[in-house]
Amino acid sequence: MALRLLALVACVGEARAAMSRGFNRLLESVVSINVRELAFESGARRYTSSLGSGVLMSEDGVVLTNAHVVSRRAVEINVTLSNLERVGARLVGWDHWTDLAVLRLDMDEVKRRGFKLAAARFGESEKLFPGQEVYAVGTPHGLTRTVTRGIVSNPNRYFEDNRGINGYETGMFNTWLQTDAAINPGNSGGPLVTSDGRVVGISSRGYLGANNLGFAIPATTARVVLESLVRDGAVVRSYVGIVPGALQDLENFYALALNTGVLVSSVDPGSPAAKAGLRPGDILLSIDGARVDGRFPEQLPPIQNLVASRPIGSELRLAVKRGAETREFTVVTERLESRVGEEWALEKWGLSVRRVSRTYARENQLEGTDGAVVIGVQPGFPGDVAGVARGDILLKVNQQAVGSLEVLKQAHAAYEAAPAPTLLETQRNRRVSLLILKP
Amino acid sequence: MTSFRRLFRARFLVITFAAVAGSSAATTDLPALWAERVKSVVAVEYVTVTETERRPTVSMGTVVDAAGTIILQSVAIDPRAALRQLKDFRVYLPGEGAGAPAEYLGQDAFTGWHFVRAGQETRARLTPVTAFAGPGEPRRPAIAEAVWGIGLRPKDEDFQPYILRSSVALLQAIPQLTAIAQQEVAAPGLPVFDLQGALVGLAGPSGGQTFLQISRTGRPVPTLLINVEESSAFLVAAEVLPHLGRIPRDPSGRPLAWLGAYGLEPMDREVAKFLNLQSQSGAVVSEVLEGSPAEAAGLKPRDIVLALNGAPLPQLKPDRAVVAFLEREVERRAPGEKFTLTVLRGTERVEIAAALGEQPKLAREAERRYFDRLGVTAREPVYADAIERRQRPGVLAGVVAHFVKAGSPAATAGLRPDDWVREIDGAEVKDFADATARLALIEADAERAEFVLLVARGNETAVLRVKLK
Repeated sequence: MALRLLALVACVGEARAAMSRGFNRLLESVVSINVRELAFESGARRYTSSLGSGVLMSEDGVVLTNAHVVSRRAVEINVTLSNLERVGARLVGWDHWTDLAVLRLDMDEVKRRGFKLAAARFGESEKLFPGQEVYAVGTPHGLTRTVTRGIVSNPNRYFEDNRGINGYETGMFNTWLQTDAAINPGNSGGPLVTSDGRVVGISSRGYLGANNLGFAIPATTARVVLESLVRDGAVVRSYVGIVPGALQDLENFYALALNTGVLVSSVDPGSPAAKAGLRPGDILLSIDGARVDGRFPEQLPPIQNLVASRPIGSELRLAVKRGAETREFTVVTERLESRVGEEWALEKWGLSVRRVSRTYARENQLEGTDGAVVIGVQPGFPGDVAGVARGDILLKVNQQAVGSLEVLKQAHAAYEAAPAPTLLETQRNRRVSLLILKP
Repeated sequence: MTSFRRLFRARFLVITFAAVAGSSAATTDLPALWAERVKSVVAVEYVTVTETERRPTVSMGTVVDAAGTIILQSVAIDPRAALRQLKDFRVYLPGEGAGAPAEYLGQDAFTGWHFVRAGQETRARLTPVTAFAGPGEPRRPAIAEAVWGIGLRPKDEDFQPYILRSSVALLQAIPQLTAIAQQEVAAPGLPVFDLQGALVGLAGPSGGQTFLQISRTGRPVPTLLINVEESSAFLVAAEVLPHLGRIPRDPSGRPLAWLGAYGLEPMDREVAKFLNLQSQSGAVVSEVLEGSPAEAAGLKPRDIVLALNGAPLPQLKPDRAVVAFLEREVERRAPGEKFTLTVLRGTERVEIAAALGEQPKLAREAERRYFDRLGVTAREPVYADAIERRQRPGVLAGVVAHFVKAGSPAATAGLRPDDWVREIDGAEVKDFADATARLALIEADAERAEFVLLVARGNETAVLRVKLK
């Protein structure tokens, strides 16, 4: 009896030891990140700084964090290691769709200063169960190496946000881990771990105004995105323009067997699916023979990924039920693009602009993809004086079509060199105006 | 325009007092003028019958002829209301609590006025405002001249008339010559007189005045206040008297002239200078509508209209007024009338000979049907619906959800007003008749537990499931 008890204690002791070993190593791999970013919104070039967390995923300095912590606008990135020393880093790639970004530490500096890096390891997020204990590690509000504890509230939460990452789309290609471990601003990009220190998620966001509703990108997604970003600097996805919707309890109405098909909730105008003849209200049954099941929202990301993972320009055979008949459509995929285009500030005019993207043009039913959207106006500058407002689209400058930001940059450079009245053609809603930028 | 008013008020106050004191001694007494002229104003009440309620509206009107014709401001009636929704027109004399029935004659597109005719027994007690216009040229008020008008208290005070007095502070063509007084001078829609009692104008809607709202904690917030009961702006008599005879032939207001140049935007002086047009006034055409007279005449998007029938467009301030000028030039004409537009296209001048057409069916004229159990009014789609949604007007299928009753099955399913219903129960909606026939079947079927709509909203579509049980 006594012996048995002792064995049990020994066992528990061993587990605790394992936990602390793994957990300690994890703590050494968590970093905080200071970023200085360019911001164009005000009609001028401005710098903003922000703070987040990250986790070292390899001994050669690869740091995984959130896309909303470090974006492509970052001009200076500093990473504070667990030994409290600061090291410079650069952006390897980012993916706003899954809210992930990858940095690489300045390894010359790391070597020169003799730092040893500890890498964290992924755990198996697909095996998490509701109620399982998890820990969030990070730098909430700048408080370094803060550990908070909670449970997995839901391992498979679906939500998408059309403008979630500083105006970029997110959430269509992954589900999220929901936890009640406290996640505060600054936790972003830090790991969500199990008690053995394995990374099962990357903490991303909390519900504002709610208590203990935190969300993390699961390791299954993070693993794949990390690999792509390290290898290619980007995640390339295919797109056909179908917005899927969960069937919920509409099977009866569409005379479908349970767990069959997904509703085509919307078809982007001008997209490959629209050109092929797909219509909202169609039921998509299979993609290249692989049956799809979109009964619940949580099941939509895998269907999206079925399309997204195909090479660009692939021919997809889509089996579709429309009314009583089933038809097949062939759709050629395009590259998935964000609605947010390249940005720039035309500082002498006091205007910041964003290129009209294919997605933006389709969403707003524009005639073509020429033009740049005004995203910021500096009061008192020529743009403001002429009457340009946020949301206007600059179509032409000195009667030349704005086919790229380059056209605007050149006209702006000419204005800078020799200020002279410059003619703008702008569009607001559907009204076209001519305006003069005056020195 | 009224932001100038404070400025003017201080400056003119002294002058006005002097003018009033000087002239009133020499002229007839105002109480006598008042007693006569009060007979030229009335309050008009009507009811808008909607799917779920009867909404009464009161507005002020001016009597314009011996036949008891009364004009109301364009804002008096909601332009979306269908003719058959407007019921129970009644005319109330100032100071009287009981009204008498009246007839709605329709709206004139050019002036925007609604015309109403008082019943036989009321007519004898009215004096047309033209009786005070005098012979010869209409009286044009001068800056600083003293003017007065009539206001009416609300219905529960029997529309008691009261006097408003002020002085002209500013005269401005926007594009109609409009006088702006220092203070409120009449209820919108009622006449304005000089101290001799001659008609000098008709009060329009009041311009707003910006005030700063200052709370104890926050920053001052600019707030626009609009006085809806009294106005300080009036059209001068010369802009009113020649048009009093524009009584619509038909309550629908038809015929309505149509050009189809969409989104006219003013060209300012800087742009004119840049395009070597010196001080020429102009308006940019944003779009040319499909199937319109403008399209048939060869007008193109981005054309800049410079002249009408050979006469250059007038220089007006604010710049926007030139757009109103062009729109009025269309509205004053009848379908079939021809005119020429001179436009700048790129660098060349092009003459466009256009013949005006008849306006396509308007939303207020479209067929509608309300389904009470479902909680939705289906409306026939019209030309403007297609244009708004960037669809081709010729190939218009589906119906528009014109009204969705709060808390109804349709509302619970997420249907919203202006949604475009494309399919009902998985089958495409061919036209209005098809849609209403099918909705009527669903509504009549007491066994029906649900039905499904495919609706388009903006650029998105959604499948809505409407539960009836």
